[in-house]
Amino acid sequence: MADTFLDAQELVLNMGPQHPSTHGVLRVILKLDGEKVLGTECVIGYLHRGVEKIAEHRTYAQFAPYVDRMDYISAVSNGLGYCLAVEKLLNAEAPPRARAVRVILTELNRIASHLLWLGTHALDIGAITPLFYTFREREEILAIFENYCGARLTTHAFRIGGLQYETYSGFEEQVKRFCDTFPAHVDEYETLLTGNPIWRDRLIGVGLLTAEQCKDYGVTGPVLRAAGVAWDLRKAQPYSGYEQYEFEVPTRSGGDTYDRYLVRIEEMRQSVRIIRQAVERIPEGAIMAKGMKVIKPPVGEAYVSIEAPKGELGYFIVSDGSIHPYRVRVRPPSFLNLQALEVMAKGSLVADVVAIIGTIDIVLGEVDR
Amino acid sequence: MSEQQPSKAAPKPAAVMESQPWAGELPENLRTQFSEDVPETSQYAGQPYVVCKPDAAVAVLRYLKEREQFDALVDITAVDYPSREARFELIYIVYSHARNQRLRVKTSIGAASRPRTLTAVFTGANWLEREVYDMFGIVFDGHPGLHRILLPEEWTGFPLRKDSSILGMDQAWVKDNLGIESGQ
Amino acid sequence: MPEWLRRFLLIDLIQGMLVTFRTQHPKYINTEQYPEERPRVAERYRGAPRLNINPENGETLCIACDLCAIACPENLIVVGSVRNPETRRKELTTFTYDLSRCMFCGLCEDACPVDALELTQDFELASFTREGQIWDRQMLEEGPRPSPYR
Ligand code: SF4
Ligand code: SF4
Repeated sequence: MADTFLDAQELVLNMGPQHPSTHGVLRVILKLDGEKVLGTECVIGYLHRGVEKIAEHRTYAQFAPYVDRMDYISAVSNGLGYCLAVEKLLNAEAPPRARAVRVILTELNRIASHLLWLGTHALDIGAITPLFYTFREREEILAIFENYCGARLTTHAFRIGGLQYETYSGFEEQVKRFCDTFPAHVDEYETLLTGNPIWRDRLIGVGLLTAEQCKDYGVTGPVLRAAGVAWDLRKAQPYSGYEQYEFEVPTRSGGDTYDRYLVRIEEMRQSVRIIRQAVERIPEGAIMAKGMKVIKPPVGEAYVSIEAPKGELGYFIVSDGSIHPYRVRVRPPSFLNLQALEVMAKGSLVADVVAIIGTIDIVLGEVDR
Repeated sequence: MSEQQPSKAAPKPAAVMESQPWAGELPENLRTQFSEDVPETSQYAGQPYVVCKPDAAVAVLRYLKEREQFDALVDITAVDYPSREARFELIYIVYSHARNQRLRVKTSIGAASRPRTLTAVFTGANWLEREVYDMFGIVFDGHPGLHRILLPEEWTGFPLRKDSSILGMDQAWVKDNLGIESGQ
Repeated sequence: MPEWLRRFLLIDLIQGMLVTFRTQHPKYINTEQYPEERPRVAERYRGAPRLNINPENGETLCIACDLCAIACPENLIVVGSVRNPETRRKELTTFTYDLSRCMFCGLCEDACPVDALELTQDFELASFTREGQIWDRQMLEEGPRPSPYR
């Protein structure tokens, strides 16, 4: 009698769209049996701006600022992917100096993105302190962006064919100074979190996702690597000169939230390694490829993807030979990663849903585009 | 391409994608396996793609997954060509971790045709197909829950079709909701 | 050290607290005191637009070539010009810049052949009306006048 009384009702609970831990406007419909999650359904699209439609009404160069506004946490990566895709259509390549600067800025952006993720993820779980420290370091990166291109978030740092801005005087020093101080700060975060019993209890074994499930759902990025697949596009299909730099692809085998945390922490260290190597030898020379005044690719199509902080960010561009792209399709990593929430959250507790949403590292601007 | 010279006199030939044939074991296998269901295996800008008949698309992708190690679904999207007879081009992108290779599978479908869903092969196709439906109005047969994903449920029209204009959508919305003429 | 002893001695807590207390020193204050102290933004900061004038004769540098308006993805610049019958050159009459739609991407600035249009370091752009966001030529040449705090 008591038994039936307890699980007589399936409760449907709305989480979001205005909820602090959904990192934007994500609405998750939770089906609950007591504390247990029976199923989830995501309602997305609150931030849909029709970026792909806008692209068809802009020239190739004009569309570049819009891609910054998809994943606004890592605008530089978005810009790099778009520029590489158009360059592929044009059969052009940025000069070596531009490529090196691109790598430095993109890796700094990866660190900034992971820092924001770490701060907010920890905040979701109840650790307030790391947020202040991660934002302190993120500020240094944003200052570099601001000095370089004049904007902090929506940077529009790269142009098709290379760079618009030459590096400012003191750029190398500022980046080096950041590289020197930053690893100690990562140790600080680890002191605060890695061994912390509450942190471990909340994360270990939560939100499991196996490698098979990852591939089935098209999940990429740190989530895939935490499931034991050492797949990183920077290594698998190097672009923008990543083959010149030495770095490791951190992996873990557990596929739970804690492993994803460790993978991202290690990725920040590896990014510092890449930046160090790149900033030591920025080649001299031009920063813009020749013949980029009018961007008019021949008829064709290309899919180019990069390893964005969140996973594989792809651009599929169809050109009809005019100055406007015929179709731009963005393959957002967050969109596909978020889809796996339904398997990750199934059977977990309500409180863990917050941890799981945090660990996927979504940006709703990119999910909804 | 040819339109670089603004020659008014001669009508310029309709520009086509200059793709090269794609040779190798995989395209051979695909052609022997599917014969006329896969009429074209080519590459453009170093990226291979396969054109297949609409009915064979799911079978080709299943074959690629189970026999040729293309184990990860990257993307599903479509392109609208209103002037063509088969209006939409449906594009599946798959990736093989073992081969470190990406492959596009393309198929042309008419406005009224209903392609089979890929969700039976890749679970991740669910949202991607919903997005294609949302943006282009392509109905996938057998999809477990095909409804709009990014746009609100009551939206009319399919925005990424070439015949739906941004301005038109704006004017219609303003007229319906505010009862005035849009100044755009 | 075994896990239980670590937990018993609160090692992780103490280590964490050490990190926190190490940053208590006033020299680690990172908070900006805006608006009492306006922060210094970078030299290349992309903020309020300005239409530069020639400092020698006070004439505008703009040659009314319309390139900025063409480059802008948001189509928010409108350049008005008349052709001077004597010099056969275009002369700028009006210049409107709709700041409310601008995304400060800098494409207009890059397109300008004579560096007339420039995004400056001013970042206080708020106004009380929508119309206040549409800047005319005079406003663009003089720059914004942010009212000082207090
Ligand atoms: S900054 Fe960008 S959006 Fe603003 S006016 Fe210039 S080109 Fe247009
Ligand atoms: S591009 Fe420069 S010179 Fe030309 S109209 Fe614009 S502001 Fe004037």
